[in-house]
Amino acid sequence: MRVEEKLYTLRYKKDEQPHLAIIDPNKCLKCEEVNGVPQPCISVCPANVYSWINQRIVISYENCVECGACRIACPYSNISWKYPRYGLGIALRYG
Amino acid sequence: MKFDIVVVGAGPAGSSAAITAAKGGAKVLLLERGPEPGSKNVSGAMIRLDDFSSVYDVSSIPIERKVKNVDLILLSDSNRTRISVNVESNLATAARLKLDKWMAQQAEKAGAILITKTTVLGVEREGNEYKVETDRGEVRADRVVLAEGVNALVSMKANIRPDLTPDNAVQTVKEVYSLNKDEVNKRFGFKADDEGVSWRILGTDPVPYAGFLYVYKDAIAIGAGIPMKILIKRKITPYTVLDEVKERLGLNDLVKGASLREYSAKVIPEYGFPSWKACSGKVYLAGDAIGLVDPLTFNGIGPAVASGVVAGKASLESYECSKYESELMKNREVRRVVNGRPLVKELVEEENFKYYVKTINDLLHGWVYSDFSKVKLDTSKLLKHLLLGIGVFKS
Repeated sequence: MRVEEKLYTLRYKKDEQPHLAIIDPNKCLKCEEVNGVPQPCISVCPANVYSWINQRIVISYENCVECGACRIACPYSNISWKYPRYGLGIALRYG
Repeated sequence: MKFDIVVVGAGPAGSSAAITAAKGGAKVLLLERGPEPGSKNVSGAMIRLDDFSSVYDVSSIPIERKVKNVDLILLSDSNRTRISVNVESNLATAARLKLDKWMAQQAEKAGAILITKTTVLGVEREGNEYKVETDRGEVRADRVVLAEGVNALVSMKANIRPDLTPDNAVQTVKEVYSLNKDEVNKRFGFKADDEGVSWRILGTDPVPYAGFLYVYKDAIAIGAGIPMKILIKRKITPYTVLDEVKERLGLNDLVKGASLREYSAKVIPEYGFPSWKACSGKVYLAGDAIGLVDPLTFNGIGPAVASGVVAGKASLESYECSKYESELMKNREVRRVVNGRPLVKELVEEENFKYYVKTINDLLHGWVYSDFSKVKLDTSKLLKHLLLGIGVFKS
């Protein structure tokens, strides 16, 4: 089963404002030079939030399961990681 | 609005702090970012009932099933060992949404005020009180408990602790499959609806991982945790590892016909207090926020409750930081996690992990076949880890 199908199982209320962002895209280029592809944030993410397209990181923040791994994995502390506002985002049934 | 104590996070640590402080007569506000307590929380589903009895009325604790056996499974190369440990009492499976809601409700009954869907963004000292900034406005308090979980953004912003690094974090993914109760009983051979089991799995391929299986009333949870640095080094995603684990253990057959009901992930901290501070001024940190998970037994809820109770008492009695941190260290659950860390650090090293899984497997297979020729004992390694394990030396 693809991850995107797994994510359909989650109750999710989208925050219109993205809660994840890349601080400096140049650092992602540097990261690709040093670490190759996929970069650490892509490897650790359980929800395919990050993709490397045309030499830049594209963020599908609406897939995020709010685990925080990408922030920890980024060798350049280049991810601005916040929670979705007002409790938006995922809501688990089992947890 | 002004409170005696604001508690950030209505998980096991936060609700335990809130109920302790509220029972002591303090005016307590408990803030939770999720739509309800537990809705943002992920964990292993096995709890020790004794962990709750010091502060909660456990007669109404919402459990799923009583654990009758814990199965330990070791997988290396092609060898597989399974040991079933019979459990007399005290262990149960629980679902976090129900369990966390129950804890928060008991805190409310004791007088704490719970507000959900509210994320705390920062805590600042202003004179003798604290300004707690949220995405819905600000509140003030004399003391603050930060039980904000592993992604402790507020604690980090206030420079009380640093962030985790890939060296001391484990990434875990979990899937929950729903089935009806009778079908769960049939597939596991349970004789009663409240009978349950949980599995702990240690495997070495395709990468070293710790897996688990928990049985809920009407569902089966399966997951795997992998050291983050291994995922990065091997360029492999955590769900790829879980899919392999399911394949190797035949779990796809076990959940055949069941529908996937939930997919979640959580970072498990393998580092924290006392290497990190647990306090600043009258701000007290507890639970996952200071890395209180016992990775050897997969128990995070027990240490969270225990540290939350200490934080609740600290906030009630306005402890100085040195007193709070020494009271934390006096706590048995907290000490167990802290003392276990040097050994855990050794065991999550790929080489050591593989060695133990393979050696224990080879030993047990040797016993079965009366042939120990494959067993290679590294006595210095064994001795070092044994001494670390029983706490003779510290690292």
